[in-house]
Amino acid sequence: MKLAYFPGCKINFYLKDYDTSFQSLMEKLGVDLIQLPFNCCGYPARSTNFEVSVFSAIRNFALARKYDLDIITPCKCCFGQLKYAAYQWHENKKLKQKMECLLADENIFWDGKTKITHLLSFLYNDIGVLELKKKIDHKLPEKKIVTQYGCHALRPFTITGFDNPHAPRIFEELINITGFKTVEWSKSTECCGNPIYETNKSLSLKILNSKLTAALEAGADHICTACTHCQIQYNELSFQKECQKHKITPVLFTQILGAALGIKKEKLI
Amino acid sequence: MFQISLYTALGLSIAGLLFRIYRFQKKGSSGTLKLKLSLNLKPAFFNTIFQSKLFYASKTRWAVHFLVFSGFIYLVFFHALDEWIAFNLFQSYQPTLDPFQFLRDFAGFLVLIGCSGFLLRRILNTWINPDNTTNYKGLFPIILILLVMGSGFMLETIKIISEPVFLEMVEDYSDIDEDTDLDHLKIYWETHYQVRFKKDILITEEALEHGRRLNTDYCLDCHSKIKSAFISKALATQLDKPANFLNYYRADNWLYPIHYLLSFLMLVSLPFSRFFHILLIPFASAQQKMTVRHFQEKAVSIHPATFSACTNCGLCSAVCSVYPNFLITGNKQILPHFKIESARKMMAVAHLNPKKLNQLQLGNDDCTLCHHCTDICPSGIDLQGIWQTLPQTLHKMGYPDNYTFVKDTALQERENKEWEKEQADRAYDLTQNLTGRVYSFENCVQCTVCTNVCPVVAYGGNDNDMTPQQIMNLLRLGKKQTAAGTRMVWNCLTCYMCQEHCPSEIKVADIIIELRNISNQTTDSLKIMGAADKADK
Repeated sequence: MKLAYFPGCKINFYLKDYDTSFQSLMEKLGVDLIQLPFNCCGYPARSTNFEVSVFSAIRNFALARKYDLDIITPCKCCFGQLKYAAYQWHENKKLKQKMECLLADENIFWDGKTKITHLLSFLYNDIGVLELKKKIDHKLPEKKIVTQYGCHALRPFTITGFDNPHAPRIFEELINITGFKTVEWSKSTECCGNPIYETNKSLSLKILNSKLTAALEAGADHICTACTHCQIQYNELSFQKECQKHKITPVLFTQILGAALGIKKEKLI
Repeated sequence: MFQISLYTALGLSIAGLLFRIYRFQKKGSSGTLKLKLSLNLKPAFFNTIFQSKLFYASKTRWAVHFLVFSGFIYLVFFHALDEWIAFNLFQSYQPTLDPFQFLRDFAGFLVLIGCSGFLLRRILNTWINPDNTTNYKGLFPIILILLVMGSGFMLETIKIISEPVFLEMVEDYSDIDEDTDLDHLKIYWETHYQVRFKKDILITEEALEHGRRLNTDYCLDCHSKIKSAFISKALATQLDKPANFLNYYRADNWLYPIHYLLSFLMLVSLPFSRFFHILLIPFASAQQKMTVRHFQEKAVSIHPATFSACTNCGLCSAVCSVYPNFLITGNKQILPHFKIESARKMMAVAHLNPKKLNQLQLGNDDCTLCHHCTDICPSGIDLQGIWQTLPQTLHKMGYPDNYTFVKDTALQERENKEWEKEQADRAYDLTQNLTGRVYSFENCVQCTVCTNVCPVVAYGGNDNDMTPQQIMNLLRLGKKQTAAGTRMVWNCLTCYMCQEHCPSEIKVADIIIELRNISNQTTDSLKIMGAADKADK
């Protein structure tokens, strides 16, 4: 199976281990990841300029279309934005016309058929939990873990269609097969605070702190993420004094699953 | 003459260099804290000697550049500085002896090809993209190198065909007195070394043989066959007709000063032109690259000299993640190679055009810090570090980001009917226009569900003013601009909790995002107006 790998902007500099672990996981599962010169998904521009945000995403689709590939991304903000732009393309005729003109200027086109998947939805829908369970040969110790779903994949449900936005299950099912035990907590679907980290740091950290308190109450050892931005936000823990009292560490889902599938440690970091 | 101009050029060059270093030191670093000076010599070495980063960025451009680089380095050390280097290194070194004679021509040939490649790319670029303004700063070194090479080849050619030079050499290096001997040597040199003599001398087998013997006695130790200097030989053949004329006026005496003066001009312009990249790229490549940890600990420092290491090659903009932003907004300051030029000017002169600084702030705000430009930069500049420290510098100069700008502006200032009109003129039908259509928010029953699930309301405290439901109410009151300027709109995490929970199925989050778009546009207009006012003053 061949898929176009959409890494997203932040992964390259801020979260290299997610990049490597994601690629080795896909290699293990027999997926060919094709690296294309994608540009930004448009998520950062969503709150500044609607047209720019949609066009950025559409330009990526056109590029993937050129090679006849579907897109997979490990980032939930990218996933949400790409889905959102595709939705706007289909809904908004005038916008579509303008985007088509802009694409034609660069001699590319998009027919609206590129499929966008996130890592989790790909594993759940295209590989299957049972199929994945058969492949696991290194059962991990029974540690308690809480999940961070990531807002932009989950909501708005009508656009992303990721999972039930109020009581999602995908992530828990995927983690439980590795040997780790997921525990229920109150803030699994809430925001990590990363979107306003640059502009309003104190509020962003307050939100992060509240999530940690909730995770501590649930008795978790780890917080599991499957999104670049969420993981970057949780990585802040080690640098913030107010957060250091918590002993919870964030882990990447790709690293957990990779370890359970027997991928060597060097290929996961 | 030679000595005077050499020392003048050297003095000027060193003075210029010191001046530049002084300026760099005076400007100080951009960024908050100073890092310990730690130089990475390995990448600097590879990037300087082999231009490794350019190799990864573009093979063709590397090949062309490396032609110039290798040829130029050879010429500097084995031709310009031969008295100090080549004569000491090789016992038998003579500029007119193979392999040095051949290598000199070959090196010049490489530089010529490379520089023609540079020129060709520039011509093609302007041809393909008419918007691409020609960069004269980049053109100057190419033209100068071409002139130096051209004058060098011409000088060599004219020395080959020159009769006076031949006679001087005979006088200096041989003890031939008799006219017949001299004539025989002349015959030999005319046939084998392409010297052009004024008077035609009858060529006989015997004379040629005698000339050959004389040549072996006096000349062969220092003169290889002329064919190894392949370019000059070809040129000498072309100059067959005007040869006597050139010899009569001693063209070699004219060309020699031209050649070395042009070379000295190169030396003088080193600190002030694109030539400076020869010294700055090793420096920029050796600078420690910022890591994520540096930014988290706010220990970031960019040396101002790295700004000047940019050669404006534009490779960064080709891989820029936010290139589509440029395509739609048309703000050139989004693209890295324009940004670094503006940033450099900003650091060098305090009073840069406020409009341009404003554009720079808006453009830099679009950067997603994807590190692509830093990965590809052939000069090894830590571009990402610059983009991350730029907002602080701009903020200090009075160009804050939109979030801070809105926070510091009174809401009343935004209540201006002109905005509404201006924004209505823009193509709003392209967006969903949720804030302009009453049915998208009129169903709000003020049930506070959105407020109860909002993390910003829950943890914002004094940092927040309105709640999502109050925003809906403001819209119903027709106060769009007020709503767009509230802290709620700007603090929104865009987590869509409100929208997902709304019992009336109002697109609360989409409305808030759209309000922030409007607010951004208003802010941009306010900023541009402010910048225009500043420019007028």
